[in-house]
Amino acid sequence: MSLPIAELVPSHIRSFEAYVPSRPDPELMRVYKVDHLHRLNNNENALGPPPAAQRVIDGFEPPRSAIYPSGDCFFLRQALGERFGMDPERFLVGNGSCEVIASVIKAFCEKGDNIITADKTFAVYEWVAEFSGFEARLIPLLDYAFDPEAMLAAMDGRTKILFVCNPNNPTGTWWNRQTMERFLARVDGRAIVVLDEAYREYVDDPDFPDGMELMERHRNVVVFRTFSKMYALAGLRVGYVCGQKDVIDYIRRTHIVYSVNGLGQLAARAALGDDAEHILATRSMVARAREIILPAFRELELPYVSGAGNFVMVKTPASDSLIYRQLMRRGIMVRTMTGFRFPNWIRVSLVQEPAMRDFLAGFREVVTQVREDAEGEEA
Amino acid sequence: MHSENRLILELPPDVAFLPAATATAENAAEVFGLDRSGALKLSLAVEEFFAYLCRFAGREEPLRLTLSQGGTFVRVAFRFRAGEVSLRALNFAASVDLDEESGSLGDELGLLLASRTTDRCSLESSGSGVYVLQAEVDRNYPEAEPLRTPQTLCPPIRVPRTEDEPLHAGLLQHAALLAAGHYPVRSCPNSFFRPARFADMVAAGQYQALLAQDGADKPAGLLCWRNSGPRAVVFSGPYIFDDSADQALGQEAARLLVERFLSMVARTEALCAFSERPTPDVPKGWFERLGSLTLRNEAGAESAGKPQAALFRHLREDVGGAVWAHADLEPFLTRQYDRLAFSRDILRVEPTRTSRLPQHSLLATSLDRRRGLAILRPLLDGQDFAANLAAHVQALREEDVDNAPDILLHLDLSEPWQAALFPTLTACGFQPRLILPHAGASDLLVCQHVPADS
Ligand SMILES: Cc1ncc(COP(=O)(O)O)c(C=O)c1O
Repeated sequence: MSLPIAELVPSHIRSFEAYVPSRPDPELMRVYKVDHLHRLNNNENALGPPPAAQRVIDGFEPPRSAIYPSGDCFFLRQALGERFGMDPERFLVGNGSCEVIASVIKAFCEKGDNIITADKTFAVYEWVAEFSGFEARLIPLLDYAFDPEAMLAAMDGRTKILFVCNPNNPTGTWWNRQTMERFLARVDGRAIVVLDEAYREYVDDPDFPDGMELMERHRNVVVFRTFSKMYALAGLRVGYVCGQKDVIDYIRRTHIVYSVNGLGQLAARAALGDDAEHILATRSMVARAREIILPAFRELELPYVSGAGNFVMVKTPASDSLIYRQLMRRGIMVRTMTGFRFPNWIRVSLVQEPAMRDFLAGFREVVTQVREDAEGEEA
Repeated sequence: MHSENRLILELPPDVAFLPAATATAENAAEVFGLDRSGALKLSLAVEEFFAYLCRFAGREEPLRLTLSQGGTFVRVAFRFRAGEVSLRALNFAASVDLDEESGSLGDELGLLLASRTTDRCSLESSGSGVYVLQAEVDRNYPEAEPLRTPQTLCPPIRVPRTEDEPLHAGLLQHAALLAAGHYPVRSCPNSFFRPARFADMVAAGQYQALLAQDGADKPAGLLCWRNSGPRAVVFSGPYIFDDSADQALGQEAARLLVERFLSMVARTEALCAFSERPTPDVPKGWFERLGSLTLRNEAGAESAGKPQAALFRHLREDVGGAVWAHADLEPFLTRQYDRLAFSRDILRVEPTRTSRLPQHSLLATSLDRRRGLAILRPLLDGQDFAANLAAHVQALREEDVDNAPDILLHLDLSEPWQAALFPTLTACGFQPRLILPHAGASDLLVCQHVPADS
């Protein structure tokens, strides 16, 4: 009798829950019997990529698909170096910043080590640590924000990386310059500090600390950025990490070469060169969406959390997954927050006005219905 | 990987090795903490299973015997390959019918005996003719008196993180007895009445538990859960120990327990959480009502005959799914799925042709005498399914003539052959009550037996 496969698998993999991605849109539309779908679930930028990137994508000749891309994103790193005034060797590009998260953990952690992050934040830091067999110490948020004191208190001799999502997905909170400086001073170079700035381009407050500048004074800081959010290239999967040259050099040793596709490299480089107006237009779309949606939440007397980034969270008067199913039946896809450890909240991406209005109309209906049902049950 | 609480032995299917099998079982029973009578039950089960399998299992492969310690019980499992086994004797209602011209009666009797002396017994098929026959013998725990003394709480209420430090066994036992004293029997897991067993189950990971404590560290509330299939968790509670007039702190404890519970299961394999015995203290707005069961049997409690709601929530976004259904069941399913806004493809099954079936069917029965509740699950289809089911209903009603248990039947709608049984169930007096999403390989349909005289 052959051995059950499970017995070949290390226990940290056996107990690990594989991430189940959403089904593709056509499948969801079939299942929920709708003919359109507003994607308000992934914080994508509904404006699409900047015009220069769109042109590059349009002009990409199919035969070029036969050619291997640059294995280390040579031109894209040059463009990044120019933009931030740094040596291109200080950038490492990945298949989305998710890939870079894995590379950083692989580079610095060995058996018995731990990483520290928040309990209610982007899940990938925790997931990668756990399926790699490292402990993830999850520090509860304090007033919806990362808690620097508690993170410091959780550090020990085996802490290798602290992940700070700034601004935080899904709460939109961020550490200002002073909080960040104090935190870094107290970490005092004992561990790598990752600043995940995936939503950085949505913040225009001068008090927002710039990771690129911090790493010059704190050599243990590395910064993650992505082309998936503001730059609207999520489908092409390009993200990167920037840090001191020696730090990046270690991370590169664990990183897969050729993981970033050719079209993605071209489009990201073009996007970077044509982002000024795009960023302004996106920010104004997001601001307008917020203007529409927040008063409606107040009117419905539902608590919400709205900070930086192109998303808001709202508390639902029933199970978030019920609200999800009811909204899906109306062609509106949001993110349920139970998986972020915010049961009975949903997160809604901020996009153009017509989609926001559709969302609100559907959401009002569903909330009203749920409230009526609850009263019915009590009677 | 080696494990301290598991022992595996491969045996040729030959009765000459019977002493090896039973000696191993006795040895394991002792090391894994059964007392003398438990050890006897276990070795009897091993003896009967082995003797039976020597006759019926395929000969091309060895029998694999696994003995394992499950915290509060010891489990014996035989993995074997069989063409068409008749495991009829494992039916709860298998009777010794002397008129039957079955040559194998003697063997089946032994198996029946084994299945009755153990605490639980099940047969699972892992496809392609491989079966696992297993039985569990519980360790012995003393029963304790539920605590009915009224409690008032003082602020602040907190729910200590169990990730950092496991709950203290003494506190858990105290809370279990408070729950047993404050709630009807039906709302409590059996182990609350043997609190040391409950604490051991938590320590062994069979149950997970969260405890709320008040400002003076008194137990303020308890919520516990376990896995049900790979995709669901079933919770019991919250049990709240607040006898004050306004119950404000009790409500706070209930909310904190539910919130913490959900955030603990949110990033696990589970797709959903449900409860077939929620307490009235489940806070509003967190769960959906799946439907209700009309349970008559609430020994000694005022709620007898009141419908018992089943609660549910997804832990992820529902991506839809498919279930099998007999035409007679479709209207019920369509109504339920629509009411709950579940998207499901309902696939029509044709009735299974009986001539293709093995002679004997098999039903698993779990009977909880204290709660007066029996749950049946079809394990193997067979030509005698209708008669077998009727015999089970009959046997269960005769278990306690004055206070016959409520009888539920779980159908796994991911199995076309189970879905095809539906008309047979209705003919036997079962009615569809509710759907438990993802509770089996896909959704489970819960049917309830409605006696002709009620
Ligand atoms: C905080 C945060 N970091 C990283 C990512 C991953 O982005 P990428 O598409 O670059 O892998 C996301 C996307 O949701 C995010 O929210």
